[in-house]
Amino acid sequence: MTDSTTASGTFDVTLDVNGIAYPVHIEQDRNLLSVIRGEVGLTGTKEGCDDCECGACMVLLDGRPVNSCSYLAVQAQGRAITTIEGVMTGDDLHPLQQALLDEGGVQCGFCTPGMIMSAMALLADNPSPSEEQVRIGLSGNLCRCTGYTRIVAAVQRAAAVPHA
Amino acid sequence: MTATTTAITTSPPRFVRADGPDKVTGSGRYTADLSLTGVLAAKFRYANIGHARIVRLDVTAARAMPGVFAVLTADDVPDVRFGPFVQDRTLFARDVVRFEGEIVAAVAAVNAVVAQRAVDAIVVEYEPLPVINDIEAALSVESALVHPDWQSYGAADALVRDRNDASFASITKGDVGAGMAAADHIIESRYVADGCHAVPIEPRAVVAQWEGNKVTIWTTTQVPFDARAGVCETLQLPTNRVRIIVPHLGGGFGGKCGFHYEAHIAALARVAKRPVRLVFTRREEFIAPDRRRESIVFNIETGVLDDGTITARRAWLAMDNGAYTADAAFFSQLAAMHTAGPYRIPNVQVEAHLVYTNHQPSGSVRAPTAPQACWALESHTDEVAAAVGIDPVEFRRRNAVDTGAVGPSGQTYGEIGLQQCIDLAAGGAGYGQPLPDDEAIGVAIGWWPSFSVPSGAYIKIDGDGAGQIITGAQECGTGSVMTLRDLAADELGMKPEDFELVYQDTAVAPYDMGATGSQTLLNNGRAVIAAAGQVAEQLKKLAADHLEAAEADIVLADGHAYVAGTPATTVSLVELAGIAAGGQLLIGHGSSTPAEAPPLAGSSCVGDLGMAAFVAPQFSCHAVRVKLDRDTGVARVLHVSAAHDSGIIINPIGAHGQVEGAVMMGIGQALSEGTTYDDQARQRNAALLEYKLQTCADAPPILVQFVEIFTPDAGPRGAKGLAEAPNIATAAAISNALAKLIGRPVRQLPMTAERVWNTIQGDAS
Ligand code: FES
Ligand code: FES
Repeated sequence: MTDSTTASGTFDVTLDVNGIAYPVHIEQDRNLLSVIRGEVGLTGTKEGCDDCECGACMVLLDGRPVNSCSYLAVQAQGRAITTIEGVMTGDDLHPLQQALLDEGGVQCGFCTPGMIMSAMALLADNPSPSEEQVRIGLSGNLCRCTGYTRIVAAVQRAAAVPHA
Repeated sequence: MTATTTAITTSPPRFVRADGPDKVTGSGRYTADLSLTGVLAAKFRYANIGHARIVRLDVTAARAMPGVFAVLTADDVPDVRFGPFVQDRTLFARDVVRFEGEIVAAVAAVNAVVAQRAVDAIVVEYEPLPVINDIEAALSVESALVHPDWQSYGAADALVRDRNDASFASITKGDVGAGMAAADHIIESRYVADGCHAVPIEPRAVVAQWEGNKVTIWTTTQVPFDARAGVCETLQLPTNRVRIIVPHLGGGFGGKCGFHYEAHIAALARVAKRPVRLVFTRREEFIAPDRRRESIVFNIETGVLDDGTITARRAWLAMDNGAYTADAAFFSQLAAMHTAGPYRIPNVQVEAHLVYTNHQPSGSVRAPTAPQACWALESHTDEVAAAVGIDPVEFRRRNAVDTGAVGPSGQTYGEIGLQQCIDLAAGGAGYGQPLPDDEAIGVAIGWWPSFSVPSGAYIKIDGDGAGQIITGAQECGTGSVMTLRDLAADELGMKPEDFELVYQDTAVAPYDMGATGSQTLLNNGRAVIAAAGQVAEQLKKLAADHLEAAEADIVLADGHAYVAGTPATTVSLVELAGIAAGGQLLIGHGSSTPAEAPPLAGSSCVGDLGMAAFVAPQFSCHAVRVKLDRDTGVARVLHVSAAHDSGIIINPIGAHGQVEGAVMMGIGQALSEGTTYDDQARQRNAALLEYKLQTCADAPPILVQFVEIFTPDAGPRGAKGLAEAPNIATAAAISNALAKLIGRPVRQLPMTAERVWNTIQGDAS
């Protein structure tokens, strides 16, 4: 699963993040979050707990939502990793991003990238979720600011956009 | 209430915040996202023990480790005691540690792993001291003292202190003994609220870098100027050599108020001669900061006539200050006000003690003291209403303050909307309609002052017509800074998008108190309007010259200046900006003048820190429908109806978001959020797995309604504060719903399933 192993327990691996191949040299116990933020240099993915409890670090692995703080980076080799930086199409916001702005679903914004990743996975699975399904689908992402009302409304609004 | 001044808003129009695109794309930078060449990682050595004397502290081995650049203890920084009200604290523990999260030493090393190894290599030996773990016991004369030297500490003159009592306050009005004697019923209650936490999703982070004798500190503070003052005081630097910059802030809720680790990291960076970065773990976020919502013990007694008229209220409170006095010193008076409540009561005697313990220090968390005090008082109020057989909503209608009424501290209110809030909240919840027998609606009322303080802003418009608002204000997520663009745009006949905001940087902007006290729009809004007014005058003068008209006839609208009555005689603001760029530049500055505190009559206050007089008071009523599983004690909130008088609402979508978020925080406080301690005063649930926040799946529908009344001493256009007020009444309303379902109140907060179940079983909890 790795390109090469060195004596000190570090590995040379190549990670596919948002369609770009990043060769990185990392310890085997490094979590994916710290490698995305540190080595790959994309800081949109946040750390809120390092304990699989908040969802701020959510990324997609082959389209499935994963708390990257609790996932070994070396295991992500060979999979398509999508972070918040890979969500836009060119200069165009993804309908979820636009809907969060329109509905007022963003306050401090720290939960927002993780929320968007979870919502993308939800909508990929279920293009027209009920409110209840949205609430369950986002229940792994804590938001302390909004009370969730406007985030749920934004996901439903985005779902109504063609090809969201 | 008159038709011309009152409006009821229920649904918000669109408002897209200026920082929104940064936040939805992941391009916005938060403090932990910053990286500087050569940056080192910081780690702290904490006491990890509730109360002990340091008998040995040896950092030799840690200092000798490869990759370690600095190890600091109390011996390595100026010997300064600091604290906003009581100077009882030092940057690093000296001789004694008084709570588990107290910092004994700090390390800067090449990376976090090495830094942690060095922290572990520091040798500390302790001699245990008695652990003061109980608020009421700490007040007894036999109790050991958390600060045996308390009398030698500097402190604010107004504070009344005695041994473990760090701040005593009382509010007295009328003759409470006579009032009780005149009552037909006297109802006594005891309630105990646990402490809890702000829990912003972003953990704290600080990055410091020195250039020569100046330091720049990027930090997650809600109050940049306060953080600067703390650094200057503890490291003995002038304000103009310390620059505090706050990148995007990932929430605060009061938890990031005050001065935290900026000085520790600056001191490390100075010794290491390298930039240093601190990023907290979630556990550190729970145990270390001196901003925790305090636990409070309440004994409340109310005298009432058969017809439901309150004759007297007496209350005694003991509040957990923790080991050091942060901004909690003014909480005694604030909690006393909230335990008196927004009621017309002729005779009042409330006494509140802020008590040292060996717990994490308390500090301002969203509406400090009010949710707990409202919970206790409003639960008690339902007991009083039941004693006289009056419906709780009707009881509040009769006794709550209204326009022209005199409150418990002797303040006479101008036009206020509390009675309308009661009607709207109860109506929105369907109060009085039949419900299944496992459901009930509880109702509670709350209030909160607006904080009127100095605040400044500049506005400039450059040669291309692009504007900048340069403000000392701090954005913590509420959107209040974002709203400033609308105010400037309105003054200048421009669009909000014509302005960029330069904010949360102490080196470039004038003073503002920060994202605290719900004060941004109230105070900085006035400053921005004043600054924009100066620029408007400058534009009008230019336009008058250009259009050969009188300055007084110039109108600014739609990006143009025109002559009143002849709209064809016009010049664009962009053209005027270009003219100005070659001569008299377009620059305005504004400073907000605080409103005076309203007078109090017939009351006396001991330990008076100005919290008994509420400037532009805000009022609220929440009605909450709760479903109870009587077999398990599990309560579920089905619907919240929240009505607020926070003055005129300037940014409706932001205002709705504040209420919705605060209500959810209130549900958490009501049902799941409470800190528990072991017998050594260490937190037992300092992790999100054990300290449960409400999730999206838990969130009920929340109906938000505003009663909009113009208040003269409020902020721009009659806006009062808003961010804290909606956090106050939710837990109380849930308590009253549960009491209806159980037949008696749950006397401890949070009202966990276990405590609810015990109450159902009849245990006096
Ligand atoms: S940081 Fe990964 S779940 Fe919180
Ligand atoms: S917007 Fe702040 S945590 Fe969700």
